[in-house]
Amino acid sequence: MFQNNREGLALALPAAIFTALFFLLPVGFLLSEAFKVDGMWSMQGYFDFAIKPLNQTVFLRTLKLGFLVALTSAIIGYACAFSIVNLEGKSRGRVFGLVVLPLMISPVARTYAWIVILGRTGIVNDAILGLGLSDTPIRILFTETAVFLGLLQLFLPLMIISLVSAMENLPKDVIPAARVLGANWLQVFTKVILPLTKDGLVMGGTLVFTGSLTAYITPAILGGSKVLMLETLLYQRVNVANDFVSAGIIATILIIMSFSANLLLKRIAKARS
Amino acid sequence: MYSKWTTRLIIGLTLTFLIGPFFIIILAGLSDGEFMTFPPDGISLRWYAKVFTVESFRDSFKLSMFLAIFGTIAALILGVPAAYAISRYKIPYGETIKTIVAAPIIVPGIIVGLALLRYLVVPLNFTVTLALFMAHTALILPYAVRVVSSSMNNLRSDMEEAAVLLGCSRLGAFTRVVLPNIQSGVLAAFILGFVTSFNQVPVSLFLSGPGVRTLPIDMLSYMEITYDPSVAALSALLALLSVVIVFMAEKFLGFSRYV
Repeated sequence: MFQNNREGLALALPAAIFTALFFLLPVGFLLSEAFKVDGMWSMQGYFDFAIKPLNQTVFLRTLKLGFLVALTSAIIGYACAFSIVNLEGKSRGRVFGLVVLPLMISPVARTYAWIVILGRTGIVNDAILGLGLSDTPIRILFTETAVFLGLLQLFLPLMIISLVSAMENLPKDVIPAARVLGANWLQVFTKVILPLTKDGLVMGGTLVFTGSLTAYITPAILGGSKVLMLETLLYQRVNVANDFVSAGIIATILIIMSFSANLLLKRIAKARS
Repeated sequence: MYSKWTTRLIIGLTLTFLIGPFFIIILAGLSDGEFMTFPPDGISLRWYAKVFTVESFRDSFKLSMFLAIFGTIAALILGVPAAYAISRYKIPYGETIKTIVAAPIIVPGIIVGLALLRYLVVPLNFTVTLALFMAHTALILPYAVRVVSSSMNNLRSDMEEAAVLLGCSRLGAFTRVVLPNIQSGVLAAFILGFVTSFNQVPVSLFLSGPGVRTLPIDMLSYMEITYDPSVAALSALLALLSVVIVFMAEKFLGFSRYV
């Protein structure tokens, strides 16, 4: 550890100044626009925003989808993480690699595949028509189901990664011990696995939840203007109506949500170390 | 423990859900027909070939490459000294500096793009490309600092202290002792930054203009107009490119340690 603090400051400041000037300052200006109505400072923008039924629907839908995606990925994530941890060394690394891989691939490519699967002439509709379950193709694209599936595929890896690392820290013999002592699988899960991996669950859950709230591409491609979420609503308000008050409000909501999630994660990380 | 077959079934189903869609776009891009269908209408490479002839794809690919390469380099130029200072000095206001540098992670990209458009491009006459470059640099910076810091923390500081005691200048100790030891961390930061920037969409939603579009944005607008399999082909090519990059990085750097 060097003691020359000025030198250290000189090395670290350019990065901080760059981010503050060209990133935080413009974003701060944008957030402050929400408090300006006709050039006057007021909260009126927030009231007007809150009473519009469309905004309420979009806000609640975003929360609902975020919650459902987090919940579903937790259920699949536990089953999958438990299976991965049970694998032998080499195949375990391979499977884990395959789970992580999609995270590095362009989300546009990842979401586009769902159009082929869910579209009017897609695989699902072909199967439905082929099996005679319906006479006409059903509409899956541009529904909440499509957005839900797209988000789940996008963010499930984050949950699995968090749960695998939590389960790796689980002592090996606690599960057999609980079994020998007469616990059934449900009890093993609720009384042993869940309490011991809850940090991983909260971490994965927050990543998936905030990821879903702030996703743009998935609702844009799979939901369109029929299934707006907060980010697509923001885009529409600015592009269609030049409405920077709503944009500032949505931006504030999104930042507050991801900021609180980030705080929560930091607290968990601290408690762990 | 539960049985081997249950384990395999669960993993198989999850991987099908996560990776299956990529095989579908690869195959859909191989179609010979005019429209996207699956299973494909005959087999041909025409849509894969077409990707390379669409001029807007070529231009936007160049812009995306430019942003990913130079944005990451700029982030490293700012980030490596910052990471060094954070791990080796007791800087006044160190926590504040760390928070500022990490802040871009929690700001959704669409907001960044809009803010830069409204307060840098319009009033200060920044070009859209310059604003994009700034945004990408700021977004990659937190990752660069984190990855480089973690490899710096694994390096014992007495090595450079020894070099300084033996008569090396501070800068010399950094370039001759520290840098060679953290180079794989810096390379990992470069790859992570490159991939993050290349795949970044929301920032560029508002930051695009005539002739200035990143590749993902160009793909989004292309698929609004046409429904031919070329976007599938392009998506497949991009996915393969990422797979190759990640595979090489893992093989030569043990990339997953840093992510």
